[in-house]
Amino acid sequence: MMVPVRCFTCGNVVGEHWEEFDERANQGDEDPQKVLDELGVDRYCCRRMLVSHTDLVDVVSPYQ
Amino acid sequence: MSEEYDVEFVERGDREARFLVRGITPGFANGIRRAMVADVPTMAIDTVRFIENSSVMFDEQLALRLGLVPLTTPPEGEFVEDDTVTLSIDVEGPATAYSGDLVSSDSLVEPADENVPIIELKDGQRLEAEADARLERGKDHAKHQGGVAVGYRHLQRVEVVDDLPEFQEPESQIVRGVVEENGELVPTSEFDHDLSTRHPGKEIRLEDVPNAFVFHVETDGSFSVEELVTRAVDSIEARATELEDAVQL
Repeated sequence: MMVPVRCFTCGNVVGEHWEEFDERANQGDEDPQKVLDELGVDRYCCRRMLVSHTDLVDVVSPYQ
Repeated sequence: MSEEYDVEFVERGDREARFLVRGITPGFANGIRRAMVADVPTMAIDTVRFIENSSVMFDEQLALRLGLVPLTTPPEGEFVEDDTVTLSIDVEGPATAYSGDLVSSDSLVEPADENVPIIELKDGQRLEAEADARLERGKDHAKHQGGVAVGYRHLQRVEVVDDLPEFQEPESQIVRGVVEENGELVPTSEFDHDLSTRHPGKEIRLEDVPNAFVFHVETDGSFSVEELVTRAVDSIEARATELEDAVQL
């Protein structure tokens, strides 16, 4: 659904970086590793939160 | 507490810092760490009253998301535990509701990050809610943890002992954290965490410096690192005083 607000493991706030990450690494063609480094998401627990996320709001919204 | 400790900063930022404390026991170092994680009260949304929610998420899911948004915590003494502050949110689609859309009734308690997406609203969907933020401890719920990824390591001292024998294979020697070399503090990231690149061809001895700990502290934005550490130490002192009073004859 929506990106998790915090990292499940360490509790760091990662939600705020999602839109930029999505735009640059998923829609754009930048290297995800570089984008995460630039966003300051250092730990691998936080990085997997963004790398493995899929937005599902558009998928479920027709079935309200 | 009358005893003084020697504290030295290695890196110092608003939300992230690394500092060295000398002259504390391992037990006390862990006490500080635990106090930072579980015993420093922070503000977080606890109760949400939904007026309208026609988004794709259930009320409970949105309440959890709102709860996880870090809020700035007022200076000590302004609030006591269990005090509440009301925040409201009203967003109509098509738009995304962000944590920055939360309107607080008290300027001391504001969302620390403005750009956390709460929910994406489609055409005709609307989110209107009122939320109560409470001052509580990390013990009660992880959303009240002010410190994230708080940890410490022993300070290690690097000594160059001798040259390596001429035909010995070079071996990498990995250390993480901060090392002390000739009385100077060096973060290991400076030499890619590998001592053999810093001192090629040398035999190196590494040893723990007794009772010296390098803390690495990050906060979620509720307050600065400095504030978190002082409040954690104060909470230990308060509990120690409480214990002393309780066991006095």
